[in-house]
Amino acid sequence: MFLIRCPWCGERDVSDFSYGGEAHIARPADSDAMSDSAWADYVFLRTNPKGVHAERWNHQAGCRRWFNMLRNTATDDILAVYKMGETPPQVSANLPATPSGEAAIGSGNDAAKVMTTEEGRGEGGGK
Amino acid sequence: MAEPRTSFRRSPLFHRRPLEGEAGAVRIAERPFLGKFILRADAQAASDRLRAALGLGLPSEPLMSASQGDISFLWLGPDEWMLVTAQAEAKERASTARGVLVGVHHQLADVSDYYTIIEVAGPRARELLMKLTTLDVHPRVFRGGMVAGSMFGRANAFLWLPLAARDANAFNLFVRWSMADYLWCLIADAGREWGVPEETPIKGETLTIG
Ligand SMILES: [Zn+2]
Repeated sequence: MFLIRCPWCGERDVSDFSYGGEAHIARPADSDAMSDSAWADYVFLRTNPKGVHAERWNHQAGCRRWFNMLRNTATDDILAVYKMGETPPQVSANLPATPSGEAAIGSGNDAAKVMTTEEGRGEGGGK
Repeated sequence: MAEPRTSFRRSPLFHRRPLEGEAGAVRIAERPFLGKFILRADAQAASDRLRAALGLGLPSEPLMSASQGDISFLWLGPDEWMLVTAQAEAKERASTARGVLVGVHHQLADVSDYYTIIEVAGPRARELLMKLTTLDVHPRVFRGGMVAGSMFGRANAFLWLPLAARDANAFNLFVRWSMADYLWCLIADAGREWGVPEETPIKGETLTIG
């Protein structure tokens, strides 16, 4: 069982919760004046770190409140839980060394990455 | 000209009858038609006014309820409670609450027909619920007066253990109308080892509108 501590209800099973993506991404105030690429950055691009990640969770089956969490994406350790509007606390996380020397960003699984062929078309790797 | 329609009110589990296990190990019954209202407000601003008008303020702790006679406030979130009252006084009490909250930013929504209550009582009630949920329903954790939302099987429900109940293990499960029959059958299934009869889900019911 994977337990998450809701700031209001205490420890509950992960099946009570839903994930809400990366936290602390402010909606741009003047989106009309933005370039398409800056807008795409806001909408789609996330930091996706291997290590400490600030993310939003909702206690969907319980009190239905949103809250923030700092989670080590390499180990799934929950380092801190804090309420909406609060500043993320300082935490430290141990990153396990991996024999394949994975990259700090992305899965690091080169076998699954898209390779470019001589014709210039994208093609799945791992062949 | 068509005959005037007779209006009638039907509870979500009107087609079910109370169930009982061997020697009263578990008892399962619907508590239909209680008045239920969702209140959203700031606790500090609302609690004293409600206490003056209804004789009962909001529970001060998360996951707890407050009861006085047949009125209860159940904590559902830091700014959200459910007012549960007897059916006969429901409209009057809701309008009393609305009256004293004038000037306080709030919302009071009637959800009497959105939820029904399945009561699971008896000495094996906790063990039965343990089969359906990841909530800790051991008596040292889930005490009288507590209320908590979680999943029961595939249904979302609020579990409440009223403090003043005649039976110290008379759990109330607030479940949405559309999930009530599913949860009823699931509870009956979980009670099979104590002799609760099997319940078959309804199917093929025709929906008449208008
Ligand atoms: Zn919660």
